[in-house]
Amino acid sequence: MAIIVNLDVMMAKRKMSLNELSEKVGLTLSNLSILKTGKAKAIRFSTLEAICKVLDCQPGDILEFVD
Amino acid sequence: MMSKANNFIFIVLKIIAWVIFVGLCIEAAALLVNFIFAVFNPELVSRLYQKMDLSDLYKNNKWAFYQTYLFILSTAILKAVLFYWVIKLLHKLNLSSPFTESVSKQIIQISYYTLVIGLLGLIGHESIKKFFINPDLRYEIRTFLGDSEAFILMGAVIYIIAVIFKKGVALQHENELTV
Repeated sequence: MAIIVNLDVMMAKRKMSLNELSEKVGLTLSNLSILKTGKAKAIRFSTLEAICKVLDCQPGDILEFVD
Repeated sequence: MMSKANNFIFIVLKIIAWVIFVGLCIEAAALLVNFIFAVFNPELVSRLYQKMDLSDLYKNNKWAFYQTYLFILSTAILKAVLFYWVIKLLHKLNLSSPFTESVSKQIIQISYYTLVIGLLGLIGHESIKKFFINPDLRYEIRTFLGDSEAFILMGAVIYIIAVIFKKGVALQHENELTV
């Protein structure tokens, strides 16, 4: 997959657990896990916005394009 | 959520499918018995459940006899198998979340069976034309082969539905993996 999800890196930087992020963003643990492991096929803008708000970062910090 | 009317229709469909399946199994078995008796003991054929007597054809042209029975038996057996798959599908199908891989595969399988039955019937109709001069017997055999055009049309429609259903499964899968 050309798009890599760096959610775990940002979570580690902010010292935030998956449970905590799940509660703050309002996503289920299984959905967050799908995103974190790179199994997700798409991400909604609303989800991305909520994650960026909670982790205080830019979408580019979470998603990365690798050729 | 499945409405009460849908639930009722589904139960009725299941019952109808079971009745047709049992009927088709009986017909296929009866035709098989008929075939065995026509070969080994032709005098008894007139007393059997399906009174299709092809013993004259057997005496005159064995190749035509076997060819006719091949079409009749294979169509009858395939019809029973088709309804076995229909029953399996009806028992497996969950109307609240119908888009699953196994249901999609079963619908495709049903379309293949329907198309094969239609094509066999069509080839059978054409091939018996030259063997039977007696129109009554020809008509009787045609009833066993079924309405091939209808089966081909039905098979094509089911195949189109199956392809659309497959797309639906892919869309549901994508939707499930959208966060």
